[in-house]
Amino acid sequence: MKTVTIDPITRLEGHGKIEIFLNDEGNVENAYFQVPELRGFEKFCEGRPVEEMPDITSRICGVCPEAHHMAATKALDAVFHVDPPSAAKKLRELLYSAFYVADHTTHFYILASPDFIMGPNAPKAERNILGVINKVGLDVGSSVIKHRSDALDVVGMIGGRRIHPTCGVPGGVSKPITEEQRAKIEEIAKSEIEFAQLTLKLFDDVVLSNKEYVNLIKSDFYTTPTYYMGLVDDQDRVNFYDGKIKVVDPEGNEFARYSAAEYQQHLAEHVEPWTYLKYPYLKKVGWKGLVGGKDSGVYRATPLARLNVAEGMATPLAQAEYNRMYETLGGKPIHSTLATHWARLIELLYAAERMHELSRDPEITSQNVRTIPTAIPDEGVGIVEAPRGTLTHHYTTDGRGLVKSVNLIVGTTNNHAAISMSIKQAAQGLIKKGEVSDGLLNMVEMAFRAYDPCYGCATHTLPGQMPLEVSIYSNERVLLRKLRRP
Amino acid sequence: MKRLLLGIGNTIMGDDGVGIYVARWVKERLQSRPDLQVKELGVSGFKLVEEILGYDEVIIVDSYGAEDSDAGRIREFGPEDFEDTLHAPSPHGANFATALELYRSLQPDRIPKRIRIFTVDVHRTDAFEEGLSKPVREAALKLTETIVREIEPSDQCGQEPTRQ
Repeated sequence: MKTVTIDPITRLEGHGKIEIFLNDEGNVENAYFQVPELRGFEKFCEGRPVEEMPDITSRICGVCPEAHHMAATKALDAVFHVDPPSAAKKLRELLYSAFYVADHTTHFYILASPDFIMGPNAPKAERNILGVINKVGLDVGSSVIKHRSDALDVVGMIGGRRIHPTCGVPGGVSKPITEEQRAKIEEIAKSEIEFAQLTLKLFDDVVLSNKEYVNLIKSDFYTTPTYYMGLVDDQDRVNFYDGKIKVVDPEGNEFARYSAAEYQQHLAEHVEPWTYLKYPYLKKVGWKGLVGGKDSGVYRATPLARLNVAEGMATPLAQAEYNRMYETLGGKPIHSTLATHWARLIELLYAAERMHELSRDPEITSQNVRTIPTAIPDEGVGIVEAPRGTLTHHYTTDGRGLVKSVNLIVGTTNNHAAISMSIKQAAQGLIKKGEVSDGLLNMVEMAFRAYDPCYGCATHTLPGQMPLEVSIYSNERVLLRKLRRP
Repeated sequence: MKRLLLGIGNTIMGDDGVGIYVARWVKERLQSRPDLQVKELGVSGFKLVEEILGYDEVIIVDSYGAEDSDAGRIREFGPEDFEDTLHAPSPHGANFATALELYRSLQPDRIPKRIRIFTVDVHRTDAFEEGLSKPVREAALKLTETIVREIEPSDQCGQEPTRQ
């Protein structure tokens, strides 16, 4: 048996590697996805005032600090048994919608679009954002930069800082916004809606109009039937900030619906001896290994998963796109991993529309943005939808509010099992008789890139590049060949 | 002239925070200078480049971790030193060189005329802890002196920072 190692993965948050095991015929027998884990987080938090958690947890990730800040803030509401005023919830959701606009824009244009706009087999030197801008034009490039930056300005206006917001406090937010800020946010949101529509048009022109890409999206080796998870509001529509967690089975039937505090009744974590990674799975179905289907507790929590569990989107333009996607790809649920890119752009449009709605809400400039907590703190769970999946923060404290224990299930963790399965499936379809080319490997990587995975990105050490290393081992683990990409 | 000193890192990841400490210590010494802004940043790529736009001169301080790392060694780079990573992927898609190149083509007038990057070699940054290891702290103090002298040659040097 040979082993192909892709190490570390390109265009992935943090460091990781893929190991693909070939059999004697040179075909794929198994594939595993591994990442090193940052150590000591729980111990680091123990004994600290729980109010520090929104700041500490936002620094464990350089990509989605806003998601951690928001989940932590909601967990604090629960720890202190306090219900924030309606205006505070709306401000949090407005900030969060702006963050989604910036994050989904970054993912599509920088991570996903090079594979489609330049093509999965394009030379590596061209298959990146610079190649994309050269091809689609400087105007599109300027628009991406502007809309990403404007969305982060909104995060800064509400959150106090553009990158690591500080506004979340138990019972609300630390300050209201002014009428002037509100008007500016409304103007930005309007422009973000147009930008999201243009982005969906680009996706149409480049991906959906290309038969080869549509076939790739629908192909068996990018298709993995699993359970799906996501937050829904009381009308069963996608919601990033609040609601109930809903799970559907691979046929699209509702399997579970629960509130944040009940998550441990529904989820368990499987541990494998060969990796630090934990594999969350649906407790009531059980762990059956890295396999999909109705009998396996493996689930996915991604943009596509959120759309699969919901009955629709809460805003009109996104709803129209939602209908179009399911009509085009043959109804719900969609199991194609690559369709996640489309779902992400529908969410981009929804986030922009929701920003606009909230910016026009009469309550949004209310001065009543905090309920002061008076109860004795003890335990609480906060859940939001991070762009990469359902994000859970669970804290327990002593009566003085000092942290006793912390449990986090971060967005990507939900998808650990499914990522390995998707890689295996893609590798099986693309690597035959030991033939491994750069283009093939990139197409294998496309399988997990759709998940927008994010691991251990809490450090920022230079030179900050992650060269791609491919190691091929014999069945006796003797290194046969080593390829290194710059 | 608008000058920026940008410390990069994460102070809850041990030595990864070295850039932040150096920025804070330099700020203590030079806080009265109206032409100098000191910022801290915990992210890279696009967000990093967005922070330096519009300044004339920028000094970036970060940790350095690679196969040849020698904890406490100070290095100096220019943006051109990262050009071999220009088309290489990195966290969330664009590394410093790629993001800088993109902005150079889209907003050339906002790119600083001079960008210098100082780094301190670190060994391990995969555990949550506060404070710097001994060799990295000593190097950070030395680098603080170097930067203070660069920015204000007449400043009284040799002072210890009051906090970490």
